[in-house]
Amino acid sequence: MVDQATAQELGLAMGSPDIRSVGPLAFGPEGVLFVGDNVGASIFALDVGDAPAGGQPESLDLENLDTSLASYMGCSREDVQIRDMAVHPLSGNVFLSVMRGSGDAAIPVIARIDLEGGITDVALDNIGFSKTYIEDAADEDDPREVTRVKLRTVTITDMSYVDGLLVVAGTSNEEFSSTLRRIPFPFSGDTSSNSLEIFHVSHGRYETAAPIRAFVPYQGNNSILASYTCTPVVQFSVSQFKPGEMAHGKTVAELGAHNRPLDLVSYQHDDEEYLLVANDRHPLIKIACVDIDQQGALTVPDESLDNSPADPVTPGVGVPRQILPQPGVRRMANLSDDAVLMLQEDGEGHFHLHTYGVGEL
Amino acid sequence: MTQGGHEAHPDLSLAWRERNGRDALRATGWTETELAELKGPDGGALNRRLALLTSEALQGGGEPACSPDTVRGPGRLLRSPPGSSLPLVAGRFEVEAGAVWFMPRFPFVAGMGYALLVYPSSAGDNASAGGARQSPRAWTIQRPAVDATPVARVVAIYPDVDEVPVNLLKFYVHFSEPMSEGRAQRAVSVCRDDTGEPIDGVFVPMDPELWDGARQRLTLLLDPARIKHGLVPNMEVGYPLMEGVPFRLQLGPEFRDARGRPLAAGAERRYAVGPEVRERVDPARWSLTAPAAGTLHALRVEFDRPLDHALLQRCLGIRDPEGAPVAGKGTTGPNEKSWQFEPESAWAEGRHRLRVERQLEDLAGNSPLRIFDRDMTEPDDGPDPSDLLALDFTCAAG
Repeated sequence: MVDQATAQELGLAMGSPDIRSVGPLAFGPEGVLFVGDNVGASIFALDVGDAPAGGQPESLDLENLDTSLASYMGCSREDVQIRDMAVHPLSGNVFLSVMRGSGDAAIPVIARIDLEGGITDVALDNIGFSKTYIEDAADEDDPREVTRVKLRTVTITDMSYVDGLLVVAGTSNEEFSSTLRRIPFPFSGDTSSNSLEIFHVSHGRYETAAPIRAFVPYQGNNSILASYTCTPVVQFSVSQFKPGEMAHGKTVAELGAHNRPLDLVSYQHDDEEYLLVANDRHPLIKIACVDIDQQGALTVPDESLDNSPADPVTPGVGVPRQILPQPGVRRMANLSDDAVLMLQEDGEGHFHLHTYGVGEL
Repeated sequence: MTQGGHEAHPDLSLAWRERNGRDALRATGWTETELAELKGPDGGALNRRLALLTSEALQGGGEPACSPDTVRGPGRLLRSPPGSSLPLVAGRFEVEAGAVWFMPRFPFVAGMGYALLVYPSSAGDNASAGGARQSPRAWTIQRPAVDATPVARVVAIYPDVDEVPVNLLKFYVHFSEPMSEGRAQRAVSVCRDDTGEPIDGVFVPMDPELWDGARQRLTLLLDPARIKHGLVPNMEVGYPLMEGVPFRLQLGPEFRDARGRPLAAGAERRYAVGPEVRERVDPARWSLTAPAAGTLHALRVEFDRPLDHALLQRCLGIRDPEGAPVAGKGTTGPNEKSWQFEPESAWAEGRHRLRVERQLEDLAGNSPLRIFDRDMTEPDDGPDPSDLLALDFTCAAG
């Protein structure tokens, strides 16, 4: 739990946040948990009250997590939707955003799993929190706003805290655009002036913009690797961030048809940095950051990479990459410097948590 | 495990009751001695001897390895040997007014079965001392199901046109009631109109789905990877739709409204498929019919092609000769090929401006600024150099 002075510094006040849904999670400074609320069109910063642990967590493996969560929440397994996963940087506890049920009966739950597999949840009343809206309020001098029903929404697909800014990827339910919002924390209410559009060029010819599905900062937060709704994996530099301007990223990989990249994570092993990309249909892939740096922008499909025997799931073009055997990876998080935690779905739709040492990836 | 427990608690019965303004489970029929034992000096026996599980967990897991001595603290659950047990339903037991109450941390679920497990009085104590555990007895109770009479219907599907371009980007489906999320993937399908053969891989699965604030409008995105030129999926498998092959968009009753009820009826819509549209939205090609000053007549705008229904609701606006916004109501015309605006007050005399926001798109995602999949070798595809995002019209004195 943050002390009173820190809470004040971070703009957190005690109360009951009106969280209507829970989605993407990200940890910020002092173990503050950011929670994306897509129904409420808001982002909450919560003091989840975890105490720092003595050392780094070693591993956590939990079979049939969805069944356990259903049992804990007193509902059927069908009513459990795990939205995101994050590891508390100080306590090592695993946090899951879970929706119990749907429609009017839906209840947002922040579940906490300790390193012995025990489940509790964060009480969402009498908690230190602050809140910001994803979008600025409607333009007050626009008379159409008076009667217009709120139809346009922005759905948060991923978030990361990078050097004082909460970086938020979102998808509009109307216009097809690629906007990355940068929200200063502590929240000040200023979001739109810090948004930027990121374009990338396919095969040296087609400029494209699309909603970012998931992303991960790496190289000491100087780079971001993002996966798009329309399949490319794109790298761009944080130094390109200039408020209100367009940025151009470098397409480093394309993962082929009928596949969506779901989550990304970076880790260090033997002084090299690597990235993992989890996909809904393709296997988990591993990319060495050094290969991204050395490759120019993807221009034409590279047949030699497509035909790699290590990659049975052609197509796919771009940087060299390795297929990893972990099946059904839906979400990933760094459990420690030495281990990656994976939320894996099996063929029957059950979810399991498994820890993999970076040496075995 | 024994259902009923006739020996120890002949009269034990469960009922749903409100307590302290919340739904609670009440168990009555205990002897006074039992209640006193359960309550104990510290109340600890309550959590050692009683446990609540869902019937689903009980049936799926057999003997609940989540024995009460694994409960950590009142109402907070679960600590269990790996792979062998399920957590108990979160909540706390209390003794009051001759009954045992279970106050759940999360509300009980309609239609769900719950089982109260009662361990024999010696078992919990023996177990905590390492002795053999006796099986608990279970009493079950069902929450009443909600009224499942379906009422929700599909009230509109956009685009509201007979023919869509082969590079169509979106559908909007409007429902009569607020809906539940998470059903689109199983409820929405597309098939060929001529053969009835299903067409797979048309949509990009969105998780979470794209709903409006009221959960009455669902946006369905056709797979942009298959639409965009230059991307591998487009090159490999091509557009999700086939030019010249009409199709049906089908919305099945698998949707659930916000109260969990299915659709009253499925819905479908037939479309013909025309050639691709790869041109910027160009307001210079629109035709305007200006109303006379001093009237409440509508301004009419005819487009050169159908535009996105949702974006038309907010991407067009009127400024008066002073540059101030004109209050009024914009309405989309048939086939989303026109728009008319009725002012709240009579038109002023002079030059007005129709403002077009850059987010406006046609059915293929082309905007005034760029083609959806801009070919950088084609100068016309790129950002409009003239930056024409407004059209002027004059309201003359009648």
